[in-house]
Amino acid sequence: VVRCQLSSPQRPLQASAVLRRVSDEQKKEPLASSSQQQFDSHPTDPQPEQEPQGPRPSYTGQGGQESEDYESEEQLQHRILTAALEFVPEHGWTAEAIAEGAKTLGLSVAAAGMFHSDGSELILHFVSQCNTKLSELLEQEQKLVQLGEAEKKPTDQFLRDAVEARLRMLIPYIEKWPQALSILLLPHNIPSSLNLLTSMIDDIWHYAGDQSTDFNWYTRRAVLTGIYNTTELVMMQDSSPDFEDTWRFLENRVADAMNMGDTANQVQSTGEALVQGLMGAAVTVSN
Amino acid sequence: PAGGVSLRLCSTRVALEGINKPVIDRIIRVDHAGEYGANRIYAGQMAVLGRSSVGPIIRQMWNQEKDHLKKFDELMVAYRVRPTVLLPFWNVAGFVLGAGSALLGKKGAMACTVAVEESISDHYNSQIRTLMEEDPEKYKELLQIIKQFRDDEREHHDIGLEHDAEAAPAYSVLKTAIQLGCKAAIFLSERI
Repeated sequence: VVRCQLSSPQRPLQASAVLRRVSDEQKKEPLASSSQQQFDSHPTDPQPEQEPQGPRPSYTGQGGQESEDYESEEQLQHRILTAALEFVPEHGWTAEAIAEGAKTLGLSVAAAGMFHSDGSELILHFVSQCNTKLSELLEQEQKLVQLGEAEKKPTDQFLRDAVEARLRMLIPYIEKWPQALSILLLPHNIPSSLNLLTSMIDDIWHYAGDQSTDFNWYTRRAVLTGIYNTTELVMMQDSSPDFEDTWRFLENRVADAMNMGDTANQVQSTGEALVQGLMGAAVTVSN
Repeated sequence: PAGGVSLRLCSTRVALEGINKPVIDRIIRVDHAGEYGANRIYAGQMAVLGRSSVGPIIRQMWNQEKDHLKKFDELMVAYRVRPTVLLPFWNVAGFVLGAGSALLGKKGAMACTVAVEESISDHYNSQIRTLMEEDPEKYKELLQIIKQFRDDEREHHDIGLEHDAEAAPAYSVLKTAIQLGCKAAIFLSERI
């Protein structure tokens, strides 16, 4: 129960404070009482550890501030969304799933009101989590190679494995994933979803050992993005055991990409040879 | 407020601890583009004046630019910065500028060198200022590199003056035009 009257710009503060009270009652006593004190004595000041941001979590790169044991709004939202994932296969990427997730954390169902009604944040949170998991996986593999405990994979194998690992994370949610994809394409979600996609692709290339500093940087990422997106779409419609058709499709696309690279190199060296020939001819003629 | 480390929600980018990524990104991207362009300018000048009396001087300056470019290639990979999309364009534009100025004669080439190197040193100076304002300790290595390169470019500028750049045809017009072009190139490469 909120005892103080709060003005409307602090609604998100109020909402999360209410939720925090509910959840704090279940946490250890000293923490609950200190947080209540903090709240009561500064009714109109923003909570010190909260960033001046809107109620929606941002997926384009703001770190949450953490102070001691006090949970920021962003962290709370993360916990709710993570808990909500369990209910996605049943309820889809919707506010219902978020509400169910909030319930398991002992929070009020109204917590779902913190989020957009179309489930955008849930999906973005999930994608973000998957990307982080992929990064950690690739980082670990890299460590093993550096320690000499594993063989360095050839590039096509590496790309195949990375994309497969990332797509496999969708398997538990595969029924509802087409819905998620369409929501990610909504105009207000495009900046975030594009950002997540590009940083994932960049990560994969980074761990694959890409060190290009010329236009190849773009070509490689564009190609891999194409491979990833098309494979994802194929996976949506794949009904083969353990998605083997999808992985075969992936293998073929990666092989195509490798061939494209070779062809490009061949074209370039042919071009260079041609230019040299012409220069030689010009010199000869001018002499 | 200019970013601290962007982490969790920009999910996969493993940020190098505590640096101001947007600022460093821009700096490395534009410097890489600049050295790349300078390379191509000298290549263009060599194509025309390679066998003349200023050939060796130009070649020497070109070699230094090649070293600069190599260094920025390394920094780009280390800081995971993306190169500017305009690289193919600077490839051609740089060569055309170098060759074009060289066609105006040795003094024309030197004038081009003076103009470009002056722009680049000013640009490096403002980057040094930015980094000093941010945190001279954190960016010590980068600062050292940029200072060294700024000194090299100054040297090129002085060499250009020594070789009668100011006697080039339409020197002040040429210089102004080239410097305007450099400013535009810097503006675009920082962003795109």
